[in-house]
Amino acid sequence: MDVNADATDGFDTSRLVDIGKSIYSLVIVLVLWELVGQLELIHYYFLPPLSDIILRFIELTLSGQMLENAFLTLYRALVGLAIASVFGVIVGVLSARNDFVDWFFDPIIKIGYPVPIISLIPVFMLWFGIGDISKIIMVAVGTFWPVAVNARDSTQQVQTNLLWAAQMMGTSDRRLLRRVVLPAALPGIITGFQIAMPLSLIITFVFEMVAGGGGLGALEIQGVRSFQSAQVYAAIIAVMFIGIGLDRGLRFIRSRLLHWT
Amino acid sequence: MGHATSQRIETLPAPLQGIVQTIFDWIPLGILVVLWEFASGTFVAESILPPPTIVLSRIVELIVTGDVFSHLFISLFRITVGLGLSILVGVLLGIGMARSKPVENFFDIFLSMTYPIPKTALVPLAILWLGVGTETAILIVFLACLLPVVLNAYNAANDVNQSLVWAAQMMGTSERAMLFKVVFPATIPEIMTGIRQAVPIAFVALVSAELIASNQGMGYLILTSGQIGNYPRMFANIVIISAVAFVAVRGFEEARNRVLVWT
Repeated sequence: MDVNADATDGFDTSRLVDIGKSIYSLVIVLVLWELVGQLELIHYYFLPPLSDIILRFIELTLSGQMLENAFLTLYRALVGLAIASVFGVIVGVLSARNDFVDWFFDPIIKIGYPVPIISLIPVFMLWFGIGDISKIIMVAVGTFWPVAVNARDSTQQVQTNLLWAAQMMGTSDRRLLRRVVLPAALPGIITGFQIAMPLSLIITFVFEMVAGGGGLGALEIQGVRSFQSAQVYAAIIAVMFIGIGLDRGLRFIRSRLLHWT
Repeated sequence: MGHATSQRIETLPAPLQGIVQTIFDWIPLGILVVLWEFASGTFVAESILPPPTIVLSRIVELIVTGDVFSHLFISLFRITVGLGLSILVGVLLGIGMARSKPVENFFDIFLSMTYPIPKTALVPLAILWLGVGTETAILIVFLACLLPVVLNAYNAANDVNQSLVWAAQMMGTSERAMLFKVVFPATIPEIMTGIRQAVPIAFVALVSAELIASNQGMGYLILTSGQIGNYPRMFANIVIISAVAFVAVRGFEEARNRVLVWT
């Protein structure tokens, strides 16, 4: 152990220097933010001092308000995404494997994918109201397209050699799908989830801002309307944590499922 | 199914083949439209799901009377400025980060921290700073489009073929000429890819900002049409903005293929 102490020490310092180099700018900006706020160079309403925002964040977390709204947002986004994933993968894989399904869905995907899905929020408010169900269906419809398109394209690109080899060895159609096609298409399918995940949050936030009913989007808008800017910033910090958490989570799942690539 | 019909189509005279194939390809959409027309007024109340014929006549009406254009032009102005700014700043930042270590050290942490934030969550913040209106919409479009442009420009500038750089250096190219004559042209295809990713994002960001924080523009028009119960007009405006988004993406792809003749 002692013999290696010097070597590890050296390693640690260079690592520390690297970390310092990469975060010094953030530290500068955060300190400036606090200073500007404390000296009231910018009006409190536009930019409250960082410490006030952190206090408000802790306050909202302790009172349970933050967790409750974060849970609502996550629940709507993830349930919608899960529904879209099931339908998207089924439609995508079938489109790639079956001419009739492809013929039917291809024009629908061509027209449906480019629609700015957010513009349908008023329609969903009309059809399904402003409750959880309406938001979940909206997320499911919006995230269906990237999941389906990525599943279809990656299934189409599965090497024919693999299929022929498996068929030659007498693999049944059903086993071919489970043991050859799906594993080979999995990286592309997960890429579809990675594209759809931020979209599910975008749809949920905007829906909550327009229609209310709790959630982080509603918490932000409520902060704007009651002139509590610290609450808006605190909610955005929570949004950042959720975004980073989900992003990391999907990357982790990806590396676990695709450890063979 | 596809094979059988394409064989049958081949027996037709050449000019007809393309037309018949196109019609055949779009039949499923036709079926949906017919179902929609039929369902509206029978299974679903006509007020909740106006039939396509009424929506279509409303679109024609909006265009002929010119009612839609004031809002459409405002939306197009916002999206053009926001996207244009994000391309300008994004290309500079991306290439700067790739070519200079201090610039990369400074901005990297901000990019990796803001990357996972859905930019529409920043609409309330934009309202705090800029109020309700055009500036807020432009800011949101700008922020939403910035990252795809930066990331693609950065990756491209990092991956510039080192032989090109060496060859230019050997011939005595100055640092500045290197940037404009070698690095920037080499990154153009990737930058185009970044913009291609940004265009649909721009439309989502635009409509979000206009739904929440605007009293003009297509998003506002859609929301208020719904609120006053003028559902045919709501659907008509959704179709119009979707068509504009579709044309924008397709138009950009066409333009990219024309510009990138050397790739």
